Amino acid sequence: MQQAPSLQLHTTRECLGLSHRTRTLMAELHIIGQIIGATGFPQNSLFCKWGVHTGGAWRLLAGLKEGQTQVDMPQTGDMAYWSHPIDLHYTTKGLQGWPKLHLQVWHQDSFGRCQLYGYGYIHVPSSPGQHRLQCATWRPLGSWQDQLAEMFVGGGPQLRSPDLIYSGADRYRLHTVGMGTVELELCVILRHFDRYGVES
Amino acid sequence: MTSNNPAVFLLMINGQIEAADFPEYDDLYCKYCFVYGHDWAPTSGLEEGISQITSKGRGSQSLVWNFPLDITFKSTNPFGWPQIVVSVYGPDTFGNDIVRGYGAVHIPFTPGKHTKTIPMFVPESTSRLQKFTSWLMGRRPEFTDPKVVAQGEGREVTRVRSQGCVTLQFNIVTKDMKKLGYDTTSIEHSPARTPQQL
Repeated sequence: MQQAPSLQLHTTRECLGLSHRTRTLMAELHIIGQIIGATGFPQNSLFCKWGVHTGGAWRLLAGLKEGQTQVDMPQTGDMAYWSHPIDLHYTTKGLQGWPKLHLQVWHQDSFGRCQLYGYGYIHVPSSPGQHRLQCATWRPLGSWQDQLAEMFVGGGPQLRSPDLIYSGADRYRLHTVGMGTVELELCVILRHFDRYGVES
Repeated sequence: MTSNNPAVFLLMINGQIEAADFPEYDDLYCKYCFVYGHDWAPTSGLEEGISQITSKGRGSQSLVWNFPLDITFKSTNPFGWPQIVVSVYGPDTFGNDIVRGYGAVHIPFTPGKHTKTIPMFVPESTSRLQKFTSWLMGRRPEFTDPKVVAQGEGREVTRVRSQGCVTLQFNIVTKDMKKLGYDTTSIEHSPARTPQQL
């Protein structure tokens, strides 16, 4: 690295443009890890679209909060491996709206057509440390006519807006079927939470 | 060694690329490199390396490298935590050197001993004709820069085939992360907080 020795440029205060006179240190959260892969789906040529949703008190300082993984066709075994890195740096003024990671697992066939295989979401763990997580997924089920058509031509109902993946508001209208599991490994690093009396 | 108001924390990594498990291939060697964010800088150790070529023994199916890793990083910010990118290469039927897998994993975050097994994948040819031509000519699809495997952007256009895995071992020591306020272990696992037993 050719950077000058002073690496103090990235303190929270400077990132937020506050002057050096302010003494408040905001609580920070780092989410670092990988979406490892998925298993238990009918076909295993899969990719995943993911995103992180937070409440209004949270502000993203660095990192990409959504993305799409590679398409993996495993040679042996059932698990499709993505090894997709996640590295996010949040700062927050409150505990409400703790980050949630939502996923959509899609299947791509040899012709390049994509079919939805499942939705799922998982809360980012609230205790610091390394966590191995499994996220269960589900797919909306249509009427018997839809299911019959799906058997022949593929496709199937999809959610109009991805908000329903991680909110419970209108879920009672849905009829879904369970699909496979997505495995993730996330490390949570907290900073200055204990100054505010937060125990985790 | 002691400082009351440290500005940086250190991450010391010792370990090895222990072995690989590729059922269909033999005579492989690996290259590793570290990918890290702008706030990180290596203070000592080697950032890249190439291992020896190893073969499967008569009895066992594992390809052992036992290749040492030794590096120390300093940083002000956990964002951009270093990742190790491992690329495995070997000969094909005609003797050309081709890539057998790429894989990446974050360096473990907590002090201690860790063993990680990472899956290896290769980019796939886009059509059957290209697959046949690349098999014939010995030029398989590969990434121009293996560091792409450690990034999130641009991955959505890649199609890969996963085959095999590599086992790595790490021993991690951190310095001054707690003094800077970073909490990487939860209360129940931290020994200082447990009450004294009589």
